[in-house]
Amino acid sequence: MFEWLETTPPAIWVGESLWGYPIMLGCHAVGLAIVVGIFLMRDLRLIGLVQGISYESLDSLRNLAWTGFVINAVSGCFLFTSQATVFIESTPFLLKISMIFLAAICAAIIQNKLRDAASQWDSTGAVAGSVRTIAMASTALWIGAIISGRLVAYL
Amino acid sequence: MEAFVTAVEGSAINEWVLGSAWAWPIMEIFHFLGLSLLLGSLLVIDLRMAGYFRQINVVATHKLLPWVFIGFGVNLITGFLFLMGDPARYTANIGFWWKMFLVLIAGLNALWFWIKINPVMPSWEPHADTPGLAKVIAWVSLGTWFGVLLLGRLIPYIGTG
Repeated sequence: MFEWLETTPPAIWVGESLWGYPIMLGCHAVGLAIVVGIFLMRDLRLIGLVQGISYESLDSLRNLAWTGFVINAVSGCFLFTSQATVFIESTPFLLKISMIFLAAICAAIIQNKLRDAASQWDSTGAVAGSVRTIAMASTALWIGAIISGRLVAYL
Repeated sequence: MEAFVTAVEGSAINEWVLGSAWAWPIMEIFHFLGLSLLLGSLLVIDLRMAGYFRQINVVATHKLLPWVFIGFGVNLITGFLFLMGDPARYTANIGFWWKMFLVLIAGLNALWFWIKINPVMPSWEPHADTPGLAKVIAWVSLGTWFGVLLLGRLIPYIGTG
């Protein structure tokens, strides 16, 4: 199946055309900055390393972050097809995908909490313990995804 | 530029960067984490300053500024080490010079923000629209920094010009 994937038109466009690979890599960098950047800012606020911004207003950034997520899911699929047989056997790649999957679950839990309960939280203090823990897990998972993503090129 | 390359190659810092197989990927990881902090904090600050996300208190976005500086600092250090590790490749690359030019523009734009916007910002309505000049500065900031990001990522694919 992964051999077949490498012979499909998108895979050949990414792998063999002059601009296919750089365009997808460029999109992947922009999407990374948006999704990891915005989710990290949200987490830093929930952990308490950023003050002042109200918890309720954090939720307004949700669509922007998921836009970055979608940009990277799409560009990531294109990049994957070009070397599917290599990526599918790469431990750092599989680790990266697992961590992104878990970070997305964290994001879904956090946004539900923000929507339902943020207005009751004291904006000057810390958030509920469980939300803080999930925000810390989310931070660790995004950092882990970046580390393992970089290592795909080396291991 | 040749004199610069000759001076750097074989220097202690050059040998330190090239000395371990792990130095380069670890520096890259920090450069990626740094860009996430820099672009993430700037996205919130600049998009709010451009008039979007009005639920967010525009004055409170100031609290994110330390993360702009942390991200920039991490990338300044790791970027300097990349240059020290492979001076010939970077100085011959037109993408690298465009990237540095955009960093300079972004820096001047930040100075413009500091002089014109920063002193008056505390008096802004927290959830209202923003002045025209603030919008210009915000978009210049986003445009230059995303340009820096793209040029940086594509340096390996851009020629010597």
